Amino acid sequence: MYKPNSTLLSKGLALALLFVFALMLSACAPAAQPGGTLRVAIQPLVQTDPALISSDAEVLVANSVYDYLVDIDSLNNNPVPRLAADWEVSDDGLTYTFTLADGVSFHDGSPLAAEDVVWTFDRLRDPAAEYATSSLYTNIATIEATGRLEVTFTLTQPNPFFLYDLSDNHALIIKSGTTEATDFNGTGPFTVENYSPEDRIVLAANPAYFVEGQPGLDHVEIIFFADEGAMVDALRGGQIDLVLRMSTPLYESLQDVEGIQTTVINTNGFDLVRLRSDREPGSDPRVIQAMKLATDRESILELVQQGYGALGNDIPIGPLYTSYHDPNVQPPARDVEAARALLAEAGYADGLDLTMHVPNTGGRPDLAAVLKEQWAEAGINIEISVEPEEIYYGEDGWLEVDLGITGWGSRPYPQFYLDTMLVTDAVWNESHFSDAEFDGLAETAGTTLDENERIEAYSQIQQLLAERGPVIIPYFFPVFGAISDQFTGFQLEAFPGRTDLHTISFK
Amino acid sequence: MGLNTRVKAASAAPVQGQRFFSLLRGLFRRPAHGFGTFIFLLFFLLALFGSVLAPYGANEQIVHDVRQAPSAGHWFGVDHLGRDVFSRVILGAGDIFTLAGIGTLLAVVIGTSLGLLSGYRGGWFDELLMRFFDSLLALPALLLALLLLGRFGPSRQSVLLVIVAVYIPIVARVVRSVVLSVKTRGYIEAARIQGESSARILFREILPAVLPALAVEAALRFSYAIFLASSLGFLGVGVQPPSPDWGLMVNEARDTVSQTPWALYFPAGAISLLVISVNLMADGLKQAFQVEVQI
Repeated sequence: MYKPNSTLLSKGLALALLFVFALMLSACAPAAQPGGTLRVAIQPLVQTDPALISSDAEVLVANSVYDYLVDIDSLNNNPVPRLAADWEVSDDGLTYTFTLADGVSFHDGSPLAAEDVVWTFDRLRDPAAEYATSSLYTNIATIEATGRLEVTFTLTQPNPFFLYDLSDNHALIIKSGTTEATDFNGTGPFTVENYSPEDRIVLAANPAYFVEGQPGLDHVEIIFFADEGAMVDALRGGQIDLVLRMSTPLYESLQDVEGIQTTVINTNGFDLVRLRSDREPGSDPRVIQAMKLATDRESILELVQQGYGALGNDIPIGPLYTSYHDPNVQPPARDVEAARALLAEAGYADGLDLTMHVPNTGGRPDLAAVLKEQWAEAGINIEISVEPEEIYYGEDGWLEVDLGITGWGSRPYPQFYLDTMLVTDAVWNESHFSDAEFDGLAETAGTTLDENERIEAYSQIQQLLAERGPVIIPYFFPVFGAISDQFTGFQLEAFPGRTDLHTISFK
Repeated sequence: MGLNTRVKAASAAPVQGQRFFSLLRGLFRRPAHGFGTFIFLLFFLLALFGSVLAPYGANEQIVHDVRQAPSAGHWFGVDHLGRDVFSRVILGAGDIFTLAGIGTLLAVVIGTSLGLLSGYRGGWFDELLMRFFDSLLALPALLLALLLLGRFGPSRQSVLLVIVAVYIPIVARVVRSVVLSVKTRGYIEAARIQGESSARILFREILPAVLPALAVEAALRFSYAIFLASSLGFLGVGVQPPSPDWGLMVNEARDTVSQTPWALYFPAGAISLLVISVNLMADGLKQAFQVEVQI
C-alpha cells in the first residue's frame, strides 16, 4: 500500500524535476535579448586592488567597476575625458586643472568629489607603499582639491605625457578613505553582483552610471579559464561570447566559423631578447651585435607570428607611434659570417654558451626555439629554460639573468619603455644598460613641450640604439580577439584588458 | 678453484646461447608477442641509427614548408615552426630510449641489489627499507615525480633521476618477494652449510632464480619509464624545448592542433605504439619464462 505510493511519488518528483530542468533549458536558450548577458572568458583574477592589478583579467574587471580620470582613445592615441569632463594645462606645462563630471556617484551611493581623486593619486604615489605607480608619479609636486569638482595637479618639471600617465592601468578612482581597496566600490559602469574566486565574477549594469546609454548590457559574466584553448572551444560551443586574447593558431582556427567575428589589431607590444650589458659576455658590445647579425627577423615573424604583427628593428619605438617612429633606422641584415667574425674578435672564436630564460607564455618559447637554431649557425649555443611566469618574474630573477626573453605589453606612448627599461636607473632595466648620451636624450624627449624637439630626440635615440642598444626586438606582436556576432560595439584594445565592456550591446 | 670456475664458465656458454634462442622463439610463439617484440626492435634500431635516417635535423627550420601537411617530402608533415615531424619523431626515439633505458637500468641494478639484500638478510634492515618503500609507493608515481622535479628543476638529468627514484622501490619489492620464496629452498640451505659467503649465495645462487621475474619486471618498468618521461615532457616539467621529446612535442602541438594536427598525432602515436609493444613483449617474456610475476 505504502510502497506503490512511494514509487508514484518519486516518479512524479522525477517528472517535475524534468519539467523544471526543461524550463531552465528554455530559459537559457533565449538569453540573447537586448540588455542581456555577455559571457567573457579570461584567466582568473589574482589581485583586485586597483593599485596592484596587472594582468588583462584584473584590468578588465577594474575598468568595468571603476573609472579612470582620463582615458585614451586607442584609434587616435589621444587622451579623452572619462571622470574628468574637461581640463586645462598652464602655458609652462606645470599645472593641470581637471573639472570632474557632475552627478557621478560610487556604487554605495556617495557622490564623487574632488577629494576622492586627490586621495586616489596620493595613495598611488606614496613612496612608502611601493606600488608600481609610485615611480611613475614622482614628478607630481602637489595634488589639490581646488573646488567641489575641481582637482589641480602641479608638476616639478614639464611632462608632455602626463595625461597618459594619469590614464595608467592602475589609476582608477577609488573613494577617499577606502581601507579595503578590494571591495569593488567604484563609480564604474558595472557593479559586482557576485565574485567567486577562480570561478567567475558576475557584473550587473550600474543604473546610476553617469554616461547616457551606457552600459549596453544588463549583466556581464566574466568566467575564468586557465587555458586559451579551452576558452576558444567554449566560444565555438556557445558557452561564452567573448575572448580577448589568444594565440595565432587559435585565431586562425576561428576564421570562417559561423556566428563568430574575429579581430586582429597591431600593437606597440613586443617580445624583447636582451643580454645583460654590465658583465661578461654582454659587457662587450660586439656580442649583442653578433646576436643581432645572427638573427633572421623575417623568418621569425613568419614562424613565430605566422606573419601577423610587424617586423621589429630592436627599438621599442614601434611603427604605430607614427611621427615618433623613424622608418630609416633598420636592423642589420642577417650575416652569419660577420656575426662569427665579431664573436671571434670578442674572444669567443670557439663559440659562446649561454642559458636563455623564457616565460612559458605567448610566442616566447617558440621565439627561443627559432633563435636557438639561427644563432647556432653563428656559434652562439643556447640552452633554453622555459619557466612559468611566476618563476621567471618571481623575486626579480629576470633582472638578474644574463640572457632572457621578456614580453612588454603595448603602451600608448613610447617614453614609458625608455624610462622603465633603458635609462640607467630604470626600475626594470633588465639589460643593465647605462649610457649617458642615451639618458640625456630620453630626458629631453620626456620633458620638452616642443613636439619637434621631441621627434628629433626620439630619432637620435633610435640611431643610438641601432648602433649600441642592448636588446633585440624581432617583432611587434598583434592581439587577437573574437566575439559572438550577436554583439556590437566591441573595440579590442592593444592592451586587451583595457577593452571597454560598457560600449558592447546586443545587435 | 680459479681453474675450476673458468672451466665451468666455458662449458656454460653454449647452454646460455641455446637458452637465448629458445627465449626468442618463445617470444615469437604468439603473434601479439611477436608483433610487440618486432615493433620494439624496430624502435630500437630507429633509436640507434636515427641520426643517420632522419632527413632533417631535430630543430632545423624549413621556413618555406612551414605547417605543410604530410607529403612525399615530409612524411609526417611540418610543424608550426617549420620542423620536419618525421625527423623529430625518429630522433626522439633515441632520446626516449636513452632516458627510459638508462633510467630503467639504474633502477633495476639498484633495486635488485636492495631487494636481494633486504629479502636475504631480513630483520630490521628489511623492515625499515620496506616501510620506507611502502611510504614512497603510497604516492602516485607522477605525483612523486612532480615533487622531485619541483626540487631539482626541469632538465634531462632530473628526469633520469626521477625515473630511477620512482622505480627502485617497485623493482626492490618484486625481487625481495622472489628472494623470500627462494631462500628457504634446500640448495640455499646446503650452500650456507657448506660455508659459502653471503655475497656468493646472493649473486650465484639466488640471483639466477630471480632473473626471469626480473627480466619481465625490467621490461614493464621500461614501458612505464617511457610513459613517465613523456608525461613529464607533456606537462612541461621534463626535458626542455626544443628537444624532440615526444611528450614535449605533443604539448607544443596542442596549441596548434587546429592547424597542424599531424605534429600532435605522430609523436602521440609513437608513444602509445612503443608503450604497447614493450608491454606485449613483457607479456611474451613472462610466457617464455613461464613465471608468475605479480605486478
